Amino acid sequence: MGYVNRRNRTIAGVFLLPTVAVLFLTTIYPMLYALYLSFRNYDLAKPFIPRIFVGLANFQEVLTSGPFMHSMWITFKLMAVTLTFQFVIGVGLALLVTQRLPGMAAIRTLLLIPMMISPVIVGLVWLFIYFPELGYLNYFIGLIGINPIPWITSTQWALTAIAIADIWQWTPFVMMGTAAALQSLSPEPYEAALIDGNSRIDVFLYVTLPQLKPVLISLLFLRAIDAFKIYDIIFVLTKGGPGDATETIALYIYRQSFTFWRMGVGAAASFVSLIIISVLITLFFKSMQKSAVAR
Amino acid sequence: MASVSLTNVVKAFGAFKVVHGVDLDITDGEFVVLLGPSGCGKTTTLRMVAGLEDVSGGEICIAGEVINDRPPKDRKIAMVFQNYALYPHMTVRQNMEFALKPQKLSKAEVDAKIAGVAGMLGLDALLQRKPAQLSGGQRQRVAMARAMVRTPEVFLFDEPLSNLDAKLRTQVRMEIAKLHKQLGTTVIYVTHDQVEAMTLADKIVIMKDGYIEQIGSPEEVFAHPKNLFVATFIGSPSMNLFRMTVERGDKGPVLSSAAFTIAAPVDKSGKLTPGQAVTLGIRPSDVRLARAGEPGAIEARVEVVEYLGVEALVDLRVGTQEFIAQIPAGERPAPDETVKVVFNQAGLHLFDSESGQAL
Repeated sequence: MGYVNRRNRTIAGVFLLPTVAVLFLTTIYPMLYALYLSFRNYDLAKPFIPRIFVGLANFQEVLTSGPFMHSMWITFKLMAVTLTFQFVIGVGLALLVTQRLPGMAAIRTLLLIPMMISPVIVGLVWLFIYFPELGYLNYFIGLIGINPIPWITSTQWALTAIAIADIWQWTPFVMMGTAAALQSLSPEPYEAALIDGNSRIDVFLYVTLPQLKPVLISLLFLRAIDAFKIYDIIFVLTKGGPGDATETIALYIYRQSFTFWRMGVGAAASFVSLIIISVLITLFFKSMQKSAVAR
Repeated sequence: MASVSLTNVVKAFGAFKVVHGVDLDITDGEFVVLLGPSGCGKTTTLRMVAGLEDVSGGEICIAGEVINDRPPKDRKIAMVFQNYALYPHMTVRQNMEFALKPQKLSKAEVDAKIAGVAGMLGLDALLQRKPAQLSGGQRQRVAMARAMVRTPEVFLFDEPLSNLDAKLRTQVRMEIAKLHKQLGTTVIYVTHDQVEAMTLADKIVIMKDGYIEQIGSPEEVFAHPKNLFVATFIGSPSMNLFRMTVERGDKGPVLSSAAFTIAAPVDKSGKLTPGQAVTLGIRPSDVRLARAGEPGAIEARVEVVEYLGVEALVDLRVGTQEFIAQIPAGERPAPDETVKVVFNQAGLHLFDSESGQAL
């Protein structure tokens, strides 16, 4: 290695050092510590008891426990429902706001607002809306003669309530990404289709949608990863309840670690969910590569 | 097949008029080229015929029916776009199938149509490819195939060759000419390239600033330009122009400038009055070197000589006036030489300097 190269490396190292240090303290060290904990029996309520090595016992408990499987089911159910609505409504709105109509720019900006609010605040806003006796929603549906619905206090409605809040917050994200993609499409094929007389539905299904596919896949995975770790809104609205009706994986981990103080089990559950997310991401990149090759 | 007629067609964007009352009759099977510099309204006119732009005033008829308010699909037209406008994610075959979809034909009919057109355009081997896997010339042929497969009554071409390189352009131009001969469908073709216009058109419509300057066959617009714009726009290199004044000569009127004086063309002499300001136009190909002792020769200094193989373009100067002569390469003089040239009498064009109209 020549002198210049060596010197460049030294300079690069100096500049990288702060980032590496921060990353190590906030991400790498906690992760390694969590990995260490996942093999130990560590009760935060009795910190003086030695942290005994328990092998894979924590993992075994997580993977065979009903509550974990239940949280997994809740997570994926919520994900399926919210993503479906977010994409159907989001793509629909994107088609609408990319029309050249007066006032569309303003409407587009307004529609983006939910996405810019912190999820905790979104949770609090919807808490006001869902509040059983004094909530806005029950007041308004009362006006049209519908009996009050126990939105966040019944096991029957709580997950729906959370789904609605999440859909409200994240549909704009899908809309924004799709609208940007729509605007980058060349207008000429649409004029060709107009002259050929293809119906609007055919044009959407056979011209627009296939061209949006790469962007939609990207948005879908970004949303899926986010939905997998959903936490804030649920924590504010129901804390995973009533019972375990809205307990997603993130809430299960939280409950194990900070309600039951079972740090080892919580850490093991974290790693299981990390593996699931990693598989999702790998699948995502595989499919992206495939669609890139196909084009 | 169908005739097309435009009657006083106007296009305005708000208060801004871009097409000012265009009148044009296209007979069945005719190949009409709308020619003009960019911004002259030719593409807007074509898009109005296609139905991609609303008509602000006047009437457009196809096959005798007013189609102003008909959607594009009901106009029996097909269009080939400058950027091909192919569906990027579909194969060549799927592009054609999609164009046929609204006609709700049977699978066998669709296959037969595609096979026919693909054969005609030499696309058989490319049917399973996607546009990204094709060259520019192939894409252009696919765009034409997609238009042809619908067997429209009128073809609209919007600068179809401008994205191709020079060699391909010549090749595809010939293919278009051949196809028109074969199909006999009415064509409206927009271009800014006069060579395309001259080679393809039965009738050229020269436009400028939203007005039609002249309509005529390629021969007509070349040999008898109606005004200075057409005279200089058609022909390459473009026509030489000289500002002259009409004066009384011994044998009828003469045209004179500070640099030289020549006899006015005999057939125009009746229209000239002494003192009138006129512009004399002469194509470079109508300027030749004078024979020894030839009367009426003009002495000029050679500035630059461009050798083109068969011919040479000679930049000449008389006083402050520069002009070009297109002569056989073998006769070309050397730069800085002084030569004598004569103007071919039949090639003299006279225009009123004020109105720019031909006399």
